[in-house]
Amino acid sequence: MKKKFLFAMFTLLIVLTGCSQATKSNPAAVDKNELVFASTKDIRDINPHLTGGELAAQNMVFESLVMNTPEGVKPKLAEKWEISEDGLTYTFYLRKNIEFSDGEPFNADAVKKNIDVVVANYEKNAWLNLVQVIDSTKVVDEYTFSLTLKTPYYPTLEELGLTRPFRMISPKCFIDGTTANGVNGYAGTGPYILAEHKDNQYALFSVNENYWGDKPKIQHVRWKVMPDHQTILLALQNGEIDLIFGADGDMLDANAFTSLQDEGKYVTKISPPSGSRSILLNSKREATSDKLVREALQYAINKQTIATGILNDTEQIADVLMSKSTPYANIELKVRSYDTQKAEALLDQAGWTKSDDGYRYKDGKRLNLMLSYNSDNAQEKTIGESMQNDLKAIGVELELLGEEKQAYFDRQKSGEFDLQYSLSWGLPYDPQTYVSTWRVPSHGDYQAQAGLEKKKWLDQTISDVLVEQDETARVEKYEQIFSYVNEEAVYLPLTYSVVKAIHAEQLKGVSFNVSQYEIPFELMYFE
Amino acid sequence: MKQYVIKRIAGTVPLLLLVTFLAFILINLRTSDPAEIALRVNQITPTEEVVQSMREELGLDDPFLIRYKNWMMDSFQGSLGTSYVNKKPVLEELRQAIPPTLELAGATLIIIVFFSVSIGIICSIFENRWQDRFLRGFIFLLAAMPSFWIGLLLMWYFSVYLGWLPTSGKNGPSSIILPAVTLSLTFLSTYVRLIRNNMIQNTQENFILYAKLRGLKQSTVMWKVFSNSIQSALTAFGMSIPRLIAGTVVVENIFAWPGIGRLCVKAIFNSDYPVIQAYILMMAVLFIICNLLVDIVVVMIDPRLRREAK
Repeated sequence: MKKKFLFAMFTLLIVLTGCSQATKSNPAAVDKNELVFASTKDIRDINPHLTGGELAAQNMVFESLVMNTPEGVKPKLAEKWEISEDGLTYTFYLRKNIEFSDGEPFNADAVKKNIDVVVANYEKNAWLNLVQVIDSTKVVDEYTFSLTLKTPYYPTLEELGLTRPFRMISPKCFIDGTTANGVNGYAGTGPYILAEHKDNQYALFSVNENYWGDKPKIQHVRWKVMPDHQTILLALQNGEIDLIFGADGDMLDANAFTSLQDEGKYVTKISPPSGSRSILLNSKREATSDKLVREALQYAINKQTIATGILNDTEQIADVLMSKSTPYANIELKVRSYDTQKAEALLDQAGWTKSDDGYRYKDGKRLNLMLSYNSDNAQEKTIGESMQNDLKAIGVELELLGEEKQAYFDRQKSGEFDLQYSLSWGLPYDPQTYVSTWRVPSHGDYQAQAGLEKKKWLDQTISDVLVEQDETARVEKYEQIFSYVNEEAVYLPLTYSVVKAIHAEQLKGVSFNVSQYEIPFELMYFE
Repeated sequence: MKQYVIKRIAGTVPLLLLVTFLAFILINLRTSDPAEIALRVNQITPTEEVVQSMREELGLDDPFLIRYKNWMMDSFQGSLGTSYVNKKPVLEELRQAIPPTLELAGATLIIIVFFSVSIGIICSIFENRWQDRFLRGFIFLLAAMPSFWIGLLLMWYFSVYLGWLPTSGKNGPSSIILPAVTLSLTFLSTYVRLIRNNMIQNTQENFILYAKLRGLKQSTVMWKVFSNSIQSALTAFGMSIPRLIAGTVVVENIFAWPGIGRLCVKAIFNSDYPVIQAYILMMAVLFIICNLLVDIVVVMIDPRLRREAK
């Protein structure tokens, strides 16, 4: 009997383990022509004129007239451009001899068709200010195209260079003359073409053999969908993927990043500051409507603990809302550094007095605040707990309210929060698109500012600065905007967010684009 | 017999209606606006006008009962509507996601049958000796661990440490092993115990005693014990199949398996009503059919029930 038992156990072991290959499969190491990138999300529909697809994938296939670089706007599909005196007409001189990957010629007619369909689908694209101000488009000659605006709009070139919606797709891909209801192919002018896409499994990009610029060295990019973060890390360790790339804990939390960094087997990279992570202090809610309270909160938070203890020093501490490297934000503003004594003094001054239980009271009411966050985001919860601790020290009770994503958005829209997270859009959307959304009631920023005395003036100044043609006046207006929200202490700046990348050692050329949502695959190569 | 089957099939119709109606109510109790969510998922700023036009486009302005009626009529005609989020026909989405889940469930079923039978028999042979206790303890321990945890442990050990299997994805036959093993562990413990206990009980039955007295071969006696022990396990098994298919959610997420569980979770997060509704309908049908088949099989096997059915 015993023998039989042992035999059965042995069989069990064999079956459990034996069906596999005995050699370690390492597809990434074998085929050096293919880069495997893991993402928690599928690329979905990469129609460049809609917002449903992954930006990084759209960016591989489609290009725009100009591109955003750290040194400003540079030519891309347009060789050069002219802006009329009144700032209303932009004339673009297009590069010649470029074809879409389906063989259609790229010319002024194609540009006009692309821009026209984006503007025609106004409802879905009006989130971008440029779409709202475009008046007309014109084919001047085969390779000259002009764009006329209703009012001058200074970030026109920056917004034309965004990953969407103003990217060029072959007019042959339009369905019934539009892209609003989908496209019948993804023919762009970019360095890669989408060769294969299996929903929720992978997408395979191959080099565009007719690419007009420098052809990428890596022949294929395989975009693998892996919904679980832990699986992505294990797959990287197993050599199944070559690259993890993403912003704001999207792909990697700070702990995983640091532990991989410590392991020393991978290359880890961090981009320059891209966006701003802050806490909104709602000026319309009872306790936080008092500026003294808002200021006290600013002095009470130990940002060093957050940056070092929670974010493992992967992000920089933010003294003010926008980092100085953001356009128009290089201004001297009042910095409120960690100082609990000052915080306590301000609360005393505001009439909140400390009681025996350690909390502060006013008219018999305890100083109790609620921080609302999206429960999907583990990092935000941890930051909240750190703040809870800091505030308790000065006698403020902070309640953490984690809600499912949509409930969180509903709360944001209704303004029913004392404190809530605010993430700026990141470059190149900052500062113009970020401040522009402060005027939209569905955004938490609007709600948090709604109690400010000069909110109307603030919204008007934002509207003005977007159409301001004069550079000096623009600088001045932005200074007024940032000074006012800083003075009123409605934003509690925490850190400047960054993009993180981890990759295998043999992968070279990994860098960052200005936009945190793009991944420059075309510059990468294996060695 | 025929009559019994017809009666049972007719009974499923009101059951399906009830299930789908309850599901429809529950889904609609959610306070968030699906039109707004559909916009947000596609990263469109939901201003009032856009939300309103989206509501009209999705037919969300109709009263609740009208929407239910429309959905029912469409379903009868074989159309399960289009997804709110990506505008693809739901049927198409299901068609893509069902085969991988069935593959996974099939592989899991094979593992469950093989191991629960073999371990169950071993346990009964060694009743209450250390081998029995060890195996039961071990299986119990595995079943008690949550599947995401055991899945990651298996992944780490067999993929990263030993390098034998791919971590995840649906890529060749070897990629199904880890998710199927992970999924089977939850069920294994139940069946091992069921078969073991039945085997032990049956060994003490009179008909086995007589069989032994008649001098039948040891293997023939064992087979009699076994075939009598398997019946109740079969019933439980039948109901495990839909549970297995509905229970792949966690495992599919961890192992990046492109099946129906992932589709459903995504739909829930995005309030994609047509997809959720189709999923519930599918699962209800599956449960009802499996239940029906099991009942019919049991009636066919058991002469007493067969008489009753007549």
